[in-house]
Amino acid sequence: MIELRDVTKVFNAGQPNEFTAVRGVSLVLNGHGATALTGPSGSGKTTLLSLIGCMARPTSGRIAIQGEVISNLPERFLTEVRRRTFGFIFQQLNLIRGLTARENVMLPVYPTGAPLRQIRGEADRLLERLGLAKKADVRVEWLSGGEAQRVAIARALINNPSVVVADEPTAHLDTALSLDFMEIMRGLRGEGRTLLIASHDPLVYESDVVDRVVSLRDGCVVDPGGPR
Amino acid sequence: MILHPPIVALVVGSLLVSFLLVLASWYAIRILRHWDLASGSELQLGLERRTYLVSTVMGYACAFQVVSLFLFIYTADDLAPLFVGAMCAVGTLFVNPFGYPTLLLKVVGAVMAGAWLIVNHADNCGRDYPLIRQKYAFLLVLTPVVLGETATQGAYFAGLKADVITSCCGSLFSSRGPGVASELASLPILPAKVAFYGVVAALLTAGAWFCRRATGGYLVAGLSLLAFATSIAALISFISLYIYELPTHHCPFCILQREYNFIGYPLYGMLFGGAIAGLGLGLLCRWGGTVSLRSVMPSLKRRLALGAMMCFGVYAAISIYVMLATPFRLGGY
Repeated sequence: MIELRDVTKVFNAGQPNEFTAVRGVSLVLNGHGATALTGPSGSGKTTLLSLIGCMARPTSGRIAIQGEVISNLPERFLTEVRRRTFGFIFQQLNLIRGLTARENVMLPVYPTGAPLRQIRGEADRLLERLGLAKKADVRVEWLSGGEAQRVAIARALINNPSVVVADEPTAHLDTALSLDFMEIMRGLRGEGRTLLIASHDPLVYESDVVDRVVSLRDGCVVDPGGPR
Repeated sequence: MILHPPIVALVVGSLLVSFLLVLASWYAIRILRHWDLASGSELQLGLERRTYLVSTVMGYACAFQVVSLFLFIYTADDLAPLFVGAMCAVGTLFVNPFGYPTLLLKVVGAVMAGAWLIVNHADNCGRDYPLIRQKYAFLLVLTPVVLGETATQGAYFAGLKADVITSCCGSLFSSRGPGVASELASLPILPAKVAFYGVVAALLTAGAWFCRRATGGYLVAGLSLLAFATSIAALISFISLYIYELPTHHCPFCILQREYNFIGYPLYGMLFGGAIAGLGLGLLCRWGGTVSLRSVMPSLKRRLALGAMMCFGVYAAISIYVMLATPFRLGGY
């Protein structure tokens, strides 16, 4: 369970260009399901995902996972929570050019010190599961958009996270690839993972994969949604 | 002021550390007044974010504080040829009234800074900032010591005049003169030996007991501080005599010189290392009972006890080696 208590995020506080991206959001997201955060551009979806995924700290308010407040953890502990709990699929994918698909997938595990053979085996297993076994040794810049995204999904899963966070995952995909993506998400949900997807694509938030749709506008929750 | 590179380094370093400590003290007061981990207020989150920066900067500042003690002693020793009558750091520190107060404040500041580093390390091991109030309160105690040291050190270096005729260590650490130094030099040697080796033996025994049974931490800490005092007394009273192979030379500074193979540096390193480890252990025994530190505290305390034991054990071993390796003997003892 993920719980947000009166979370606010202000960028450039005290500066002329101060901007409040998230305002006093309180939300309880139950585990083992898919939640879509939807709303127009600038509504605070990406910021909220970053806060939940421990990529940023709130300006005020608390975030708890499974009852433990994580937003106040010192960075050295937060890194471990982030690595163990969350897998990220970024809007721009953020794959490292010049590295192969397998190397990109392996990257998040290197800091754990796991044996290289084990990491490589797990990366190959994920790439095979996502239909990319033959592309494992191909540099990511040579992959198609859909293939690159599946590499990003494999990278998000390499640490076996309980929560998968995806930010506008279908923004650069056509309809067929978007539907493929949602099928992959269905499989992950079936494994008991929690999915958090920020999207204003109806293919995502109207999909039967999604259990709950939370609507945001101007950094506030306008509709907390509910189980479908 | 004599523009000597170590003097410039010490003055600039102390000014910088003092400036950082004043800033950190202002932050420490805010922590002590407003810290509330249960709150999600903007103020609390701001304090949580800033504590990373402040703790990191203070870590470097305190490390410098420990190192600067040795740099100060080295500088005082190195400047001795500039002053008529000075044979070592003793004479240099006597050039004006601020030398010894600076040394005393440096010693206190170095031990406190070392202990702060230990408390800070322990605090960093907990997920919920378990010692944050204690470490910032401790910082508020350390700040006036460092500010006083910076002031006296500045006055000392500013008042160094090369035409001053000063005293040599032979007169200060003479067993016939007045003052604490002479009293230490004139300590009867046999009781001093019994006291020193007895305290070290007691420390090693209590430390071994603590490492095995995890009880008696305060005793180990107390014995470490007692060993610190008796080690200094022993150094002046009889260890120095064996190093110099002279029955009348008790100076604790000449041992820093090349003629004596710089043996003073490892001796003082062990002395201060042991004192810092012992004080750190005592503080953690007092403050380290927090739930979030329960898993790391036993091994941390054990390492500190072992550190104190090792430092004073090596110190005693060096002193024994010095006594056995020299043909010099104190007849009648």
